[in-house]
Amino acid sequence: MMLAGVALAAGETRKELHFKVGKHPAVSINNPYGPVMVRAGAAREVSVVAILHSDRVELDQSQSHNRIDIVSHLLQGADQNSGIVEYQVQVPADANLTIHSDNGRVRAEKLRGDVTMEGNSAAMEVADCGDGHVHIKTLSGPVTLSNIRNGHIEILSMGGDVSLNSVSGPYVTVNSNTGKIAYAGDFGGEGEYAFTSHTGDIEAVAPAYASIDVLARSNQGRVESDFSLEPKHTPFYAKGGSAFAGTLGMAASSVKLFSFSGRIHLKKRQ
Amino acid sequence: MNCVEFESVLPEFLEGVQTSEQQAHLDSCPACSGLLSDLNLISSQAKLLLAADEPRPAVWNALEARLRSEGLIRDFEPVPVLVPFKESLWHRWRAAWLVPVAATLAIVAGLKLYHPAGAGDNAPIAKQRPVVTEPATRGVSARAAVSSEDQQWLNSVAARPPAVQASFRADLDNANSFIRDAEASLRDDPNDAYTQQMLINAYEQKQMLYELAVDRSSQ
Repeated sequence: MMLAGVALAAGETRKELHFKVGKHPAVSINNPYGPVMVRAGAAREVSVVAILHSDRVELDQSQSHNRIDIVSHLLQGADQNSGIVEYQVQVPADANLTIHSDNGRVRAEKLRGDVTMEGNSAAMEVADCGDGHVHIKTLSGPVTLSNIRNGHIEILSMGGDVSLNSVSGPYVTVNSNTGKIAYAGDFGGEGEYAFTSHTGDIEAVAPAYASIDVLARSNQGRVESDFSLEPKHTPFYAKGGSAFAGTLGMAASSVKLFSFSGRIHLKKRQ
Repeated sequence: MNCVEFESVLPEFLEGVQTSEQQAHLDSCPACSGLLSDLNLISSQAKLLLAADEPRPAVWNALEARLRSEGLIRDFEPVPVLVPFKESLWHRWRAAWLVPVAATLAIVAGLKLYHPAGAGDNAPIAKQRPVVTEPATRGVSARAAVSSEDQQWLNSVAARPPAVQASFRADLDNANSFIRDAEASLRDDPNDAYTQQMLINAYEQKQMLYELAVDRSSQ
C-alpha cells in the first residue's frame, strides 16, 4: 500500500491510496459527507483519491487480506461542510463494494460484484453493472439504476424516488414509502419484479414485446394499464379500477405492482 | 466456510464460541458481518427497553418474520393456503409472515365470514381507464402519538441537527402511517397475502430508519 499526501489550497488535502488485492476484494467506504464515485479499474488494485475539505476530518484506512475499509473520520467540531471528503475510487470489476454516505452523491459503475449502498439523503446511482447483487437503502435520497443486467436487486426507500432504466434480472424488488417508483425496461431475465409503495406512485413503461405476468393493485389509488392483457385469475377481490391482472406474451417474468394509495400505471413504450 | 455454514453456527458464534475459520469468513463477507451487526444492534436496543415499555406484539411479529426470512429460525411448518401460488418471491414473503401472525389472524378471521365470491376476478381487463376516489392519506401522514420505543429512538437522535431530527421524525411518521394502513387493511381481509407483505414492507422501512439513524461517523 502506498500513501501520498499533497496539500491543496483553502485547507483542502488530497490523498491517494493504493492497495494490492486478490480476486473479489471487499471494499467498504464510509463517508458521512461528500461524494463517492467508484468505477471499475485495473484488476488486483484498488486506487483511492480523496480530497479532504478541512482538518476536521481525517482518513482512516485499513487492509485485512482482501478486505479494505476506508472511513472519513469526523473530528471534534466537524459539520456537513468541514467534514466533506470527495472520493474517486477505482476497484477491480469483480470487487464487492459497500458504501455508506449521509448526503453525498454516490455512484458505482461498470462493476460485476455486489454493490451495497446506504444513506440518508445521498443520491445513489448504479450504472452499467451486472451479475451481482445491488442492495440500496435510503431515507430521502433519489436512487437511479441504469443498464443493470442479471442483477439481484433490492431497494428500500422511505422518500427517495427510485428510477430503474434498463434493469433486469432474476430478482428485482423496490420497497418505497412516499417515494415514486419508475421502471423503464422489458422486464427481461425471466425474473421476479416486485414494486411496492405506501403513497408513492408506481409507473412501469414496457415495450409491446414484453413477456410478463402482471398483477397490480392500489388500495386507494388509481390503477391503469395501456396494454390489452390476457385475463388471468387474481388471488384477491379486484375492485374495478383499483387492480388488474393479466399476461403479455409468454409471461416469462412475474411483475407485481402494489401500492396502498399511490397511483399505478403500466405504460406501453411508444 | 460459506454464508450458509456460517449462519448455521451463528447462535454459537453469538454466545462466544468462535473459530478462526468463522472469524475469517466474517472478515471477508459483508453480508454476514452486516447480519451480525444487525443482530448486535437489536440485542443492544432490546436491553434499553424496560419491562414496562414492552413493545406491541406487532413489533415482535415483524422481528420474528425478519429472522425467519433470514433463515435464522427454521422450525417453520408450511401452512395450507386457500389460493395456490407458484414458488416465488412473493410466496417466500408470505410464508415468512404467516407463522408470526397466525395467532392474530386466526382471531380476526374468526370474526369475519369467508367471502369466496371475492377471491377471484376473471373479467376482461383490456385498457382499463378507471376513475376512483382520491386516496385520503396521499401526501400527508397524520402525526400520531409516539410510542415508547419510538420515543426512545427519537431521544437517541436528539443530538443530531434539528433539520435531520425533523427528517427522521417525518420518516418515522410515514413508516408508522404505512403500518397503520396495512394493519387496517388486514383487519378487513386477514387472508390477503399481499397486504401481509405490505405490512412486512412497512416494518422493514421502520427497521431501516432505526438502522440508518445510527451516527457512524464517530465509531
